[in-house]
Amino acid sequence: MLDPAPSGPDRQDSLREYHSRALKAVAEKQSKKAFTELFDFYAPRVKSYLMRLGADDMLAEELAQEVMITIWRKAAQFDPKQASPSTWIFRIARNRRIDAFRRQKTLDAVADEPALAPAALPHPEESFSTVQIEEQVREVIQDLPDEQLSLLKAAFFEGLTHTEIAERTSLPLGTVKSRIRLAFQRLRSRLDKDL
Amino acid sequence: MNQEFYSAYAAGTLDPALQLLVETQAAIRDDVRERLSVVDSIGGIFLESESKAPMSFRALERTLEKIDEIEVEPAINIRAAKAAGQTLDELIRLPGPLQERALEASSKAGWKFAGPGLKIMQLDVSDDVTTELLRIEPGHGAPRHTHEGSEYTLVVSGSFTDEMGTYGPGDISVVGTEHTHRPIADDGEICFALAVRDGDLKFSGVLGVMQRIFG
Repeated sequence: MLDPAPSGPDRQDSLREYHSRALKAVAEKQSKKAFTELFDFYAPRVKSYLMRLGADDMLAEELAQEVMITIWRKAAQFDPKQASPSTWIFRIARNRRIDAFRRQKTLDAVADEPALAPAALPHPEESFSTVQIEEQVREVIQDLPDEQLSLLKAAFFEGLTHTEIAERTSLPLGTVKSRIRLAFQRLRSRLDKDL
Repeated sequence: MNQEFYSAYAAGTLDPALQLLVETQAAIRDDVRERLSVVDSIGGIFLESESKAPMSFRALERTLEKIDEIEVEPAINIRAAKAAGQTLDELIRLPGPLQERALEASSKAGWKFAGPGLKIMQLDVSDDVTTELLRIEPGHGAPRHTHEGSEYTLVVSGSFTDEMGTYGPGDISVVGTEHTHRPIADDGEICFALAVRDGDLKFSGVLGVMQRIFG
């Protein structure tokens, strides 16, 4: 259920490394070939995600293309030490959707201008490795029973409230809450962190 | 972690003002950034395993054409922004997500004088929630005020003190309807803070959890 289609010729390579390299090639060499790889993998998935959240085919198509354009423009801001490509792209898609729902005018180019790119945040010594966290999250999610997995997906990906999930699944609200809590307890113990 | 708050954040169903607040806090605080990393990576993993919706005919070609058009756009805004001088220098030092919104706002109405040592910039973030960037000089502050609804104020840089205590970068002051408060910036540097406020109990569903999350 959680096996993404293998991408690109080198199947030994993890999706993360493969797409990280593609983003780097877009940022540094404006590589349209690398962009095409990213487009082929992500555009249809972003579109599907947007449709799942209520966009019709035409709007989802338009927004998915805009998300891909944002990926092109912001590729230089992608930092493989901070996030995996899918997480970074998920954030872009989510934010694009939020903006679209407000029917907001697109932001000025100001913030995208390299000269004004985020003044190096006082990035304190990283007390944790984001990449490591993501790998651990992935392991936990892959091992979740289907039932917990689909509840987690409904809450974190499809944006349903616990009450809506209860209605959809015909489970009592308390059961929905406790199963999501169980999934979180697994995350918490795997990460050994108080989330 | 309050799962429903963070799942709403991850799925993007949180009010955009609260989303900006928590993302800005994450840019300042490791622990918050770590939590967002966890929930965002859940979204990323589900995106990878999402089914593929068929794209329209020549979608890639049309996207590439739009990319070519972008690249010839002149950066006119940058010159206007540079003319703003010192204001801009201060805004550029704001953390990423907030910086973007503040730069956008500064090219419109920008800072408004709101009293001695106090300037306020309205940010266009949410249709339902008032979102403001505050610039408070040491020893000055907001006039004493009460609230119709609730107010969350995140200190971005500097610090301020009110009846409840002193708040530094990454701290959020939560003030409900029953409180009056009068934040005063502490000595030293200018205090920048992000305030989000609902007039009519829009936060009521999350107020309780916010207190625990940000407390």
